[in-house]
Amino acid sequence: MSSEPILRVKDLTIDLLTAHTVVRPVDGVAYELSRRETLAIVGESGSGKTVTCFAPLGLMPVGVQADISGSILFDSRQLVGSDNETLRSLRGKSIGFIFQDPMSALNPARRVGRQIAEVAELHLGMTARAAETRALELIKMVGMSDPEIRLKQYPHELSGGLRQRVMIAIAIAAEPTLLVADEPTTALDVTVQAQILRLLKEIQSRMDMAMILITHDMGVVAGAADRVMVMYAGRHVETGPTERVLSQPQHPYTMGLIDAIPRKQDAIGSRFRGLPGIPPILGAPITGCAFMARCGYAVDACGERRPPFLPTAVPGVSAACPVLNIRAKECA
Amino acid sequence: MFAFIAKRARNAVLLLFLASVLCFALVVSAPGNVAILIAELRTPTATKADIAKVEEELGLNKPLLERYGFWLNGAIHGDFGISYKTGEAVGASLKSRLAVTATLVAGGAVVAFLLSLFVGFVGALWAHRAPDVVTRGSALLGASTPSFFVGALLVYAFSVTWHVFPTFGFAGPVSWVLPWLTLGFLPAAVLSRVVRVGFEEAMAKPYVLTAMSKGLSRTSILVRDAIPNIAPTYLNALGTQIGTMVVGAVVVEPLFAWQGIGDLFLTGVRFRDFMVVQACLLVFITFFIILNVVVDICITLTDPRLRLQRS
Repeated sequence: MSSEPILRVKDLTIDLLTAHTVVRPVDGVAYELSRRETLAIVGESGSGKTVTCFAPLGLMPVGVQADISGSILFDSRQLVGSDNETLRSLRGKSIGFIFQDPMSALNPARRVGRQIAEVAELHLGMTARAAETRALELIKMVGMSDPEIRLKQYPHELSGGLRQRVMIAIAIAAEPTLLVADEPTTALDVTVQAQILRLLKEIQSRMDMAMILITHDMGVVAGAADRVMVMYAGRHVETGPTERVLSQPQHPYTMGLIDAIPRKQDAIGSRFRGLPGIPPILGAPITGCAFMARCGYAVDACGERRPPFLPTAVPGVSAACPVLNIRAKECA
Repeated sequence: MFAFIAKRARNAVLLLFLASVLCFALVVSAPGNVAILIAELRTPTATKADIAKVEEELGLNKPLLERYGFWLNGAIHGDFGISYKTGEAVGASLKSRLAVTATLVAGGAVVAFLLSLFVGFVGALWAHRAPDVVTRGSALLGASTPSFFVGALLVYAFSVTWHVFPTFGFAGPVSWVLPWLTLGFLPAAVLSRVVRVGFEEAMAKPYVLTAMSKGLSRTSILVRDAIPNIAPTYLNALGTQIGTMVVGAVVVEPLFAWQGIGDLFLTGVRFRDFMVVQACLLVFITFFIILNVVVDICITLTDPRLRLQRS
């Protein structure tokens, strides 16, 4: 991997305040990301994958307020505590975003060319005409046929795969150093998924970008990520190089996730293997291990304090499970 | 797109024809014999022969179909017959009155358009904060205040107390301001709610999150992303409101002593001047039909999905 990380997250905790409730979808998360590296953030729905990446950059649904603590160093700039204007100047320019559903993420009433071009206008200081040329370039770059025609079309005239390509063009229009892709293939056909993933990897290497891939699809993780961070109930429970985490998981939750993937030898019509139980409610603070209630290896001590996140026997892999990682326990 | 407009225009003409039949039928079936009225107006002791003479003059003794054909032919050429009351050509007075009402409604529409956009925009920019609450409150007040009361208040404030604008009359732009405000106020209040609610809905859409991820400011998101999406709904509401403004003109015109078409219509009804009533009805209906077609075309032009579907 390469030298200095461009993103260094430490002890990131996010409380979301709505009119009636407070929840903590992100609880003390830490990770690093280097240039040209792809980190997959994996976990089931509601595990805090998306909020971890979006809330610190000021991307929140209307009416929700985020209380963020910890530290996020992006290109040696502290993002936690930055004012809205600073965050806004980073969005689109240094950090590009791709969303899950290209059907609704594009504005239905505007031509796709304009939606791409305005990013170039805003962040590269281009004139409308220059931005139009840039949009044309980008449309070619994301592999769309008839680029001149596409530029003038509206989102409803394009298929899901093409719309996601437009979304990618928007995200990379200002050549950001970091690309955050939130389940970029989930809403697409299986055949299109592979194309989009390949395109993302290709653009990443061409532009020397770092990429965060938020997903729950282990196939996507195996195919595209250098490293994986597994999240459960707002906490990171395991990180490491993709192939090692997938082949030798060191946390019971990761094991459960990988075990839940249907296998070729499974009988047709047999029940899917799932994890028993449901994730904890994030409103109340969790003192011990968040996974304890669903864990087959749990011992009494698991409930006493949050398990430390430590290196395991597998090189490069760290996990928050002292029970399965005796060596790590000894180190602690 | 062209085919769509052509189709709409054809339907409008058909509708207009039906409306003319309805207008004529309404007036013909109205109780009372106009000929008697006119004959008695000339000589209080009118005989049967006098009445027959008037009927002969007005063509009232001819078969209905022929009368309709005669009237329609005239109407198409701008000749709406002679007013029973004044003896003047209805077409001529329509023309001068139409200019007055058109000035009133057009001005009122501009007031409603600008005021509603401004108020709605302020409310959306400062959503759920003081400016939003204040504008929302005044919009509710405005939407529930009848225009004759608004007009009276405006006259009291601007003419009687501050002497800024004249109380009534139709002499130049200064005297147009109060009527325009009076007529435009209620529609502005209603439309500002359409803008505000439209913005609120649009700002919760996923494409706004995309726009935020581009680093656009809230103002430019409102202008670039929200406005194109609320335009069709807004134009639809604006069309309806312009329609009600024509009705509102009937109230506002007498308030400022403007000799508009509303005033013509009211006096026509009062004196059973059927030629005038008939002509006014036809003008109103024509206006509504054209308004509908224009609004339809505008909506189709602003909504790319409809445009695709209709062309």
